[in-house]
Amino acid sequence: MANTAKLAEQLKKLNELRGPVPQALRDRVAAQNKAQKAILDALKEGPKTAPELAAAAGLPQDKALWYVAALRKYGKLSDVAGRGEYPKYELKAGEGKQ
Amino acid sequence: MSDIERIEADALVVGSGIAGLQAALDLADQGYSVAIVEKAPSIGGKMISLSKVFPTLDCASCITTPRMASVSHHPRITTLTYSTVDAIKREGKTFTAAVTRKPRYIDEKECISCKRCEEACPVFLPDEYEQGLGAKKTISIPFTNAIPQLPVMHPEHCIRCGACARACPKDCIEFLQEPAPVEIKAKAVILATGYETTPMTAKKQYGLGNLPNVISPMAAERLLAPHGPYGRVLRPSDGKVPGSIAYVQCAGSRDKSIGVPYCSRVCCMYAIKQAILLSGSLPIADITIYYMDIRAFGKGYEQFYNNARAMGISFVKAKVARVTEDAEHNPVVRIERQEGTSAPEEVKHDLVVLSQGLLPGCDVTKFSLGVELNDFGFVQLSDETISSAVTAGAGVFAAGVVKGPRDIPDSVVDAGSAAMEAAAYIRKL
Repeated sequence: MANTAKLAEQLKKLNELRGPVPQALRDRVAAQNKAQKAILDALKEGPKTAPELAAAAGLPQDKALWYVAALRKYGKLSDVAGRGEYPKYELKAGEGKQ
Repeated sequence: MSDIERIEADALVVGSGIAGLQAALDLADQGYSVAIVEKAPSIGGKMISLSKVFPTLDCASCITTPRMASVSHHPRITTLTYSTVDAIKREGKTFTAAVTRKPRYIDEKECISCKRCEEACPVFLPDEYEQGLGAKKTISIPFTNAIPQLPVMHPEHCIRCGACARACPKDCIEFLQEPAPVEIKAKAVILATGYETTPMTAKKQYGLGNLPNVISPMAAERLLAPHGPYGRVLRPSDGKVPGSIAYVQCAGSRDKSIGVPYCSRVCCMYAIKQAILLSGSLPIADITIYYMDIRAFGKGYEQFYNNARAMGISFVKAKVARVTEDAEHNPVVRIERQEGTSAPEEVKHDLVVLSQGLLPGCDVTKFSLGVELNDFGFVQLSDETISSAVTAGAGVFAAGVVKGPRDIPDSVVDAGSAAMEAAAYIRKL
């Protein structure tokens, strides 16, 4: 198990060495979390294509696809089998609840 | 301060693409000790990220991974990944290389490659292994079949939440790790630094990389790979299954305006290969290759080209003047046909691949080993008619694309030649 005292000490030292975490990075991560949540929430209504997810989450279509690729890679959503111009994605069982 | 890490070997191989791997294996199998230095976090070079190879359509990783595994387990090969060669000094009959191991911010000896740090990390980054089409985490193992299976942390994207360290069962996250110098002494050096493709920004007429559905051939390889970013072929702007795909040949070669007047040799063949693979995964798609002339130069290559024609891939002899896009990000290709009618026309596609050329991956003259370059920055052999590996620098040999554009079979063959020349040189010392 992780040594929490060592971790706290390392993180403290890191803040001394590199200064605080840049606000731009914090904002980016916040936007990422929001986008992911919006996509996973939209999928609770049922399978959707990347442009549908973009519309539901208020994201540009290419960004929505990138998040789909990210969430797919880390096991949060999966492809819906079938043909069509735009493939659909669905939540993996048990995901997106949080 | 502890002493710096020192490695002694018969040969130093710079680069671990297919040429570097093969040269190292050939030397080590003859009984010589080898140190390989690779700048990326995994060995395998460009080839490990390819989908399949021409003209056999063998899976690229099925050919590369056994060599990667042999190298990493070879008793006479020491592999340094995520490390840079900063300088190589010639001292009498030996070379001394100053190498820096870049910090992965983990304890490499303790890590068990469980990926829990990666799963726990909350920050997504564009994954350069997927050419930005997919995502990775701030701490992640570079790709599924990477060797070694060790994660790398990118501190500039770290929010210092500590989630990785809490998830690690071996307590091996080291936020304060520093670069570590390594000294390698060797009797011979094999340069196998490979290539980079001409950048998307090379030509303003082709959109400077700003058109989402105009992609690089390396990105197309990832789209075609079984474990690619989308798991299938989709276009990046909106996830549509492309119904019409075009290849723009000589998009980064035979073009004085971008300083690459030479032919990059492999682009015709990789475009034909990708076209064949695309027509397999998208049977109803229209695939067009806009070309100047097709250079199918190797054994079985002409037949491969003829097969592609027979499969219905459309070859249009036309120079592409520019690539733009319409409001739906559909690329619009402006061409002038060189056969039949010659009036300019504009053709709309769903996805366009720019067949980029090959540029030297590294300026090896920075090591001051007496190696000479040709006009285009590739290593000049001392006498091409006598050897395909001997450079102007004594004890310095070249393998693969560092000598100029060539395909995988040629790179493998002349990696063998470099190993043989290096072995002969070492024996005579």
